[in-house]
Amino acid sequence: MNDASLRDAFAELRAQETARAPRFDRLWRPPAARRPLVAWAFAVMVLIVASLMLWPHHSEKPSITAWHAPTDFLLATPGRELLQSTPDLGGYRR
Amino acid sequence: MDRAELEREIEQLHGSSFGWALSCCGRNRDDAEEVLQDVYVKILDGKARFDGRSSLKTWLFAVIRRTAAGQARRRFVREVLTAKWARNDEAPITPEAAAQDSQRSTTLLAAVQRLAKRQREVLELVFYHDLTIEEAAEAMQVSIGSARVHYHRGKKQLLAQLNGRLSP
Repeated sequence: MNDASLRDAFAELRAQETARAPRFDRLWRPPAARRPLVAWAFAVMVLIVASLMLWPHHSEKPSITAWHAPTDFLLATPGRELLQSTPDLGGYRR
Repeated sequence: MDRAELEREIEQLHGSSFGWALSCCGRNRDDAEEVLQDVYVKILDGKARFDGRSSLKTWLFAVIRRTAAGQARRRFVREVLTAKWARNDEAPITPEAAAQDSQRSTTLLAAVQRLAKRQREVLELVFYHDLTIEEAAEAMQVSIGSARVHYHRGKKQLLAQLNGRLSP
């Protein structure tokens, strides 16, 4: 056993292994070409998040004239109707 | 060197690079493919740049070795975290692959696997990839003196192990 036979044995191993190497163009690809699925998945996710964020704005807004404050009932004090009309002073003399 | 020229030269070295990646990944084909793809991505992204200070082959082999070491570290951490190390998860050798390997290569590989890591690396770089000891030292990122010591000790052990076991 010497250097030459060692070299021969390694050459044989190299021939077997390199014959089973994957194709060069399968591994040599720019990242953009390699990851179209990731890009698509990201785009779909952005779309879903955006539509979820915009969803409440699609419901109809109430008209300002029909709107009532939730604290309106506090204004309904006893005797309130007296303040809503002008007193009839002539009627008293009669 | 422009991109097209670099691609052409790397393509010519592809088989050899895959062989070296296999060696750096303990002959695990899936890991070797992953490492080689990572290396190519690093080159395409400009994260690994060939500056012409060494031959393209030794530079590429150094990148492959570093990438494989990084990936092995990450895999180890992942396996420790998932307690995977407790199980025997070595990639099985497929019957087709085993049938394609000659008895001579199987004997050689078994003997090479018993060597220390640095000895194995320098011997494979010299005998398998036809690099000089100086180029091997560059690819392994060790001093030439250290590479020589690993080479001589490794070769002595390998020859002793193989003595009479490699039929021509």
